[in-house]
Amino acid sequence: MSKQINVALIGNPNTGKTSVFNALTGLNQKVGNYPGITVEKKEGICKLPRGVKAHIIDLPGTYSLNASSLDENVVIELLLNKNDKDYPDVAVVVSDVENLKRNLLLFTQIKDLQIPTILVINMSDRMAYKGISLDIEYLEKELNTKIALISTRKNKGIQELKELITHYKELSSEPCLNASTIDKSYFDNLRKAFPNQLLYKLWLVITQDVNFGKTDRKTIEAVEDFKTKSNADLKRLQQKETIKRYQFINETLKKGQTIDLNSAKDLRIKLDRILTHKVWGYLIFGVILLLIFQAIYDWSSVPMDFIDSSFASLSEWTKNTLPEGAFTNLLAEGIISGLGGIVIFIPQIAFLFLFISILEESGYMSRVVFLMDRIMRRFGLSGKSVVPLISGTACAIPAIMATRNIESWKERLITILVTPFTTCSARLPVYLIIIALVIPEGRFLGFISYQALTLMLLYLIGFGAAVGSAWILNKIMNFKSKSFFVVEMPNYKLPLFKNVALTVIEKTKAFVFGAGKIILAISIILWFLASYGPGDNFNKAESIVTEKFASENLSEDELHQKIESHKLEHSFIGIAGHAIEPAIRPLGYDWKIGIAIVSSFAAREVFVGTLATIYSVGSDEEETIKNRMAGEVNPILGGPLFNFASGISLLLFYAFAMQCMSTLAIVKKETNSWKWPMYQLVIMSAFAYIVALVAYQILI
Amino acid sequence: MTLADLKRGQQGIITDVSSIHIPLKLLEMGCLPGNLVELVQVAPFADPMYLNINGSHLAIRKETAIHILIETTNE
Amino acid sequence: MNTIIQNILVFTALALAVLFLIRKFFWSPKKKSSKACGGDDGCGCH
Repeated sequence: MSKQINVALIGNPNTGKTSVFNALTGLNQKVGNYPGITVEKKEGICKLPRGVKAHIIDLPGTYSLNASSLDENVVIELLLNKNDKDYPDVAVVVSDVENLKRNLLLFTQIKDLQIPTILVINMSDRMAYKGISLDIEYLEKELNTKIALISTRKNKGIQELKELITHYKELSSEPCLNASTIDKSYFDNLRKAFPNQLLYKLWLVITQDVNFGKTDRKTIEAVEDFKTKSNADLKRLQQKETIKRYQFINETLKKGQTIDLNSAKDLRIKLDRILTHKVWGYLIFGVILLLIFQAIYDWSSVPMDFIDSSFASLSEWTKNTLPEGAFTNLLAEGIISGLGGIVIFIPQIAFLFLFISILEESGYMSRVVFLMDRIMRRFGLSGKSVVPLISGTACAIPAIMATRNIESWKERLITILVTPFTTCSARLPVYLIIIALVIPEGRFLGFISYQALTLMLLYLIGFGAAVGSAWILNKIMNFKSKSFFVVEMPNYKLPLFKNVALTVIEKTKAFVFGAGKIILAISIILWFLASYGPGDNFNKAESIVTEKFASENLSEDELHQKIESHKLEHSFIGIAGHAIEPAIRPLGYDWKIGIAIVSSFAAREVFVGTLATIYSVGSDEEETIKNRMAGEVNPILGGPLFNFASGISLLLFYAFAMQCMSTLAIVKKETNSWKWPMYQLVIMSAFAYIVALVAYQILI
Repeated sequence: MTLADLKRGQQGIITDVSSIHIPLKLLEMGCLPGNLVELVQVAPFADPMYLNINGSHLAIRKETAIHILIETTNE
Repeated sequence: MNTIIQNILVFTALALAVLFLIRKFFWSPKKKSSKACGGDDGCGCH
């Protein structure tokens, strides 16, 4: 086996680092998590000239080696740990030609670690447009490195970069400036105490509280003759260090870079004048949201209907083709429809991430954060929480996946926790049928129908619950992480098709193979619980029902439906429905609704289908089910079971309860613990129960 | 005066940053004494503020901006 | 005969599903510690 070259891609956010990664690896990439934390780990294989292979790891974007988030910690911990299997043979620092000054700060820090380093200057296609020219030779000499001037947009310079990586052994690993002059005596002492260690590494360990090798902050401070400094002093030193680095960079760029401001054009100013405007900015954002909402809600219904009917006919086909039996039923009703329940989310996920990655890539997302931050901050959320909350109205799953770009863990966690309150599209069939049953058809003030008004109120209630609970969570959650708000406003760019496409593919894969497995497993279990039952009542259902209705002269179809209904009633899930009846009776429900609520855990829209089976209605036609439901009588109080009070109670229960196992699965995946999804399940459902109870008791 | 007092479109030179209140990240993005800063745009209630510091475009909250001292360069 | 095989398959599938969930539920939190994130391994959970 030939040795692979370990390459680490490092760079500021918004420098096109991921584009470089995509250009080097193409589809040979995989995305996972770092062990124990939810930071994305992207790695890939790049084929270099002469049969050499490079293992490329795309490290999270960072502005410097002074970590302030989990993502940035990953970068520094890898670079400090020579024993890590991913420790780079060569570091590729990606910079953006328009922000060279700021990007070089990180570069000088990496150089201080004495890792062979290549400097990539990306977006070279913008140089003429911005009036920038570079003296590459001079810069290479001053910075003590090799430079690859590339443009991922125009696909230029990638080959040269590959050549440089192949010949990484010729690269210098010497620093380009001596930062220890900021406090000579301090660093001299440090050097004396640890003669075998790299000075800059020691400095990072002291200031960062990270560990590498056997040295951590405490062992350094424990050494005698070694004066430690107070945190305030250290921070002042860090500031001095930053100034020192900038001095060096300014000097270097003074000679190495010329900017002709006369030929520079700036689209940014013109666009920002409109897009961040106090009125137009919000209006445009509203229109864009409407478009996204429309796409997820409406456009994806075409592929979703197609998937739905395909899986239904596949299930039908399986039933008819394979030999009759329990396993065939499991395949047809449990596994295939379970798979269908996973695949059906793909169009919505793909559409949402198509839009999100376009917004991110173009630089518009930062403007949204800028516009919304002040409003969202009141509720403990971030400007970046807006998109997840809005897309939660379609489906909570892609919405929760979209919270990944919120840096502050507290704000991200709150967003994840409250998003399921927003009215997702799976609640809609439940709402529609209950509203049709219990809300009168008249019009409010003559033109707004009461039914439409109720639906709108339910959407508002969902959004209000999300924002309200965010406010409460913000008050009660105590997090050590200090959150501060610095958002870079990048230049506007046309999104690269390749980047957008790869994001959509990657997010879809993450859902199908991450949450999908859990959903499938639960589907199988739920199927089992609905298809098996204890005792004679279940196992001899056929003879019991046939005997019972022997005198009624039923058709074969009707008899079959009665049997199915009887079986469901006495299956495990039916027993569960009966068991929870005492608990849900105060809410105005009977055991049949209980079964529907229990099976709604698979997916809320199952509610209608389950009631259809229980009432042994042959078809899924809404009208037939509705009529049958309207005829249900409350076994204790008499009168219709679905009256105004129980209807409202049921609507409120569905508005607040956490009934979607797919959402729980994705929350588990995103928070990397079962703690948060379990909190959601218990607290949201308890809240739903209480609200529904109060509503019913008041209205009855 | 502080950065928070700047009007839209105005420029200033940073004279001092209180390093206890300012995250290092902001310093590293160019918010250092001696650098030129321009207020490009403000959101409603002047918060957050969209700045151009030394060629870097970034947005910070007002609560951070009050810890950055500046001198205006008004002609 | 056929029904027996079918039933065996059903229970196998059920067992697999339950096992999978139990593994997800109980073992994944342990994975962190079993990876030996001790003092000097340099992995990112501190």
